[in-house]
Amino acid sequence: MSNTDNSILYDPVKGIQLEGEFEGSIITRCKDDNDSVIFSDNLKISNSEGIFITDGFRVGFELNYNKKVAFSRRIEAQWYEDFESIEYSILISEDLMQIYDEGQFSDAFPYTLNKLTTAALYLDDNQYRINHLEFFKEEMLRNPVALVGNGVIVADRVVIDERIDPVFYDCLIVGRDENDDLSVSFEPYMNVKKSLTDVNLKYIIILGIEELKL
Amino acid sequence: MILYESSKARLLNIIRWGNNPFKKFVCTSEIKEELDLVKSRDDFIKNIISIVEQNNNFILPIIGDVGSGKTHLFWALKNNLYYYNTFYISLESVYKKFFYNIYSEFIENLETGPLKFVVNQLCENWGALERKYGFFHVVDIEKVKHAAFKQLSTKYHEIEPETLIDAINGITTHQLDPYKKIEAERWILGKLMDAKELSTLNLSHDLHKGKNAYIMLRLLIENSKLGTILFIDDFEKIISIVKPQDETLEEVFDPSWLYGSKMSPNDIASEKIFTKILQLQQIEGLRIIITLKSIESLEQIKKKYHDFDSELVSLIKKPLYLKNFSEDDIFEFYRNTMSTFYDSIECNEFSQAFEDTYFPLNELTLKNIFEHTQGNPRAIIKILIKIFNELIDDEESIDLILKKYENLDNYPN
Repeated sequence: MSNTDNSILYDPVKGIQLEGEFEGSIITRCKDDNDSVIFSDNLKISNSEGIFITDGFRVGFELNYNKKVAFSRRIEAQWYEDFESIEYSILISEDLMQIYDEGQFSDAFPYTLNKLTTAALYLDDNQYRINHLEFFKEEMLRNPVALVGNGVIVADRVVIDERIDPVFYDCLIVGRDENDDLSVSFEPYMNVKKSLTDVNLKYIIILGIEELKL
Repeated sequence: MILYESSKARLLNIIRWGNNPFKKFVCTSEIKEELDLVKSRDDFIKNIISIVEQNNNFILPIIGDVGSGKTHLFWALKNNLYYYNTFYISLESVYKKFFYNIYSEFIENLETGPLKFVVNQLCENWGALERKYGFFHVVDIEKVKHAAFKQLSTKYHEIEPETLIDAINGITTHQLDPYKKIEAERWILGKLMDAKELSTLNLSHDLHKGKNAYIMLRLLIENSKLGTILFIDDFEKIISIVKPQDETLEEVFDPSWLYGSKMSPNDIASEKIFTKILQLQQIEGLRIIITLKSIESLEQIKKKYHDFDSELVSLIKKPLYLKNFSEDDIFEFYRNTMSTFYDSIECNEFSQAFEDTYFPLNELTLKNIFEHTQGNPRAIIKILIKIFNELIDDEESIDLILKKYENLDNYPN
C-alpha cells in the first residue's frame, strides 16, 4: 500500500528543496560510503544554512580497528551545511504511519527476539563482508533496518526463512521508482529473495532496544 | 417413499412426531429470540431507540404485566440496536458479586476484538504509542503506568489507589508485555487467579475482589466506541431482594438479633444494591433500561432516589408501557411463529399451502384465546402450547381438539 500524501522535503535529483521546519516521521538518507540513514521527528531546511536535525537517530556502518561494525547513534543537534552529504529527506504521512503502528502492536508473534545493542545481521562488502543470516535461520528479530537496491526498509520484524532469505514484516519501504521519483509504501510482508535472484541487498542492521531507549 | 394425500395431513403428521411450533412461554437472556416484536410494538421500540440515541446517561423504566414480553423486548432491542453493546442482567440473580457479574456479562457481550481495541486505546491515551525518533515504539511500561495513574487518580478520585493500580497493571501488562500477555488476558476476562499468578502480574486481586470489576467496567464502557445499554430485568428487586416470607411461619431465627430491629437482612441487601446501582449511573455513556411490573414500584424507586439525592430523580425518564397484544397481534404472532417453524422443518411451501391461513388452528380459536387471555402474550403462548401438545399426544381429530377450545371460560389463566 502506498500513499501519495508523503512530503518530499529534499530531493536534488528532482530539484526539490522545501524551506521550513517540519515535524512528523522523517527519513533522511545520507550520501556517504556506508549509506547511513537518519530517523527523526523533526527537520529544518534553510537555503542558506543547510539541513538541521535535533534528536535524530543515525544508523549505518563505521570502520573500527580494521573491521566494519554497525552503529546507531543519537544525534542531539546537527547542521548538515553541505547539501551534498544528503541524498534525500522524506516526511511520511500520518495515515501510513498509523498503519505501520498497527503492525508494531500485533500480538501474533510475542516471542520475537529483541537485540539489546545494535548489530549487523548482513553486510554486502567485498572487504568487510558480514553474514549472520544462517545463524538466525528461522528466528524472528525485532527492529530491522535494511538497504535493498536503492530502497530503505524499516520493518517491525524480520524472519530468516529456510532458504536463508530475510522476510520483512510490517515494513515501510522508501525508494525511487523507474522515473526516479521518491515514494513510500507499506507492505505487511516482503520477502527479499536473495538466494534466487541477484537482488542488491546492501545491509541489514538490527537496532538495539537499549540504544533506542537512550 | 410415502405419498401424502394432502399438505394438511403431512403437516399434522410432522406435528404428531413431536414437533410443537410453540415451545416455550418464558423468554430468557441465555437463549436468543429470533422472532421480532409484533407490528403494534413498532412505535414502542422506535421510542426506545430515539431515547437511546439522544441521551448518554439515563434510566428508562419499562412497565409491563407479568408475561407481557419484557424479557423478549431485550432481544428485540439487541437485534435493533446491534451497533450498541446491549447486555442483560436480572437483579434476582446478580445481587451477590454485583459488579463482577455485570462485568462478566459485559465482557461476554463485547467479545474479544472490541475489548482488545478498547484496551489498546487506553494504552495509547496513556502514552504507550509514542514514537521515538518519529518511528520506533520503545515502550517504557513504568512511564506508561505512571502517566495512567496520574490521569486516572484525578478522574476517579473516589476509587482507592490500590484498585486503580491493579487496573493499570492488568491493562498495560496485557498490551505492552508480550511475555505476560496470556496471563493478563485471563485477568481482564475476569478469571479466578491464584496468588502466584497475581504476583507474576504484579496485581493484588483478581476481578472478583473489591471494586476491581467496577473500575474495569467503568474504563471499558467510558472508552468504548460502541455505546453501552444495560438491560436490568426485575428492577423492583431493588425494593426487596427476597420475596416476602409467609408471616404465619414460625420464626426460629429472628434477624433482628443480628441486624437490629430497624432493618431486615433483605433491606440491607437491597440498600447495598441500590448504592451499587447509583455507582453504575456514574459511568459515562451507560444507558440503563429497567423493567418493572407496576407504576407503584416505579414510584417507590423514585422515592428511594429522592431520599438519597433529589437531583438523581431527573435521570429517570418517563416510563414506557408495554401493553398486551391487540387482536391483530395474535394473528400476526401465530403466522410468524408458524412461518419460523416451517423454515425450521424445511417446508416453506406450507406458508402458502392452506386455504385457512391459520391451519391447523382457525381464526375463531385464536379469537377465543385472545378474549380469554386479554392479549397477555405469555397466557396466549401457554394455551397454544397446550393445543399443539394435545395434537401431538392425543389420537383425537383436530376438529375435536379445537372444539374443546371454543369455550375457554373454565381454562385457568
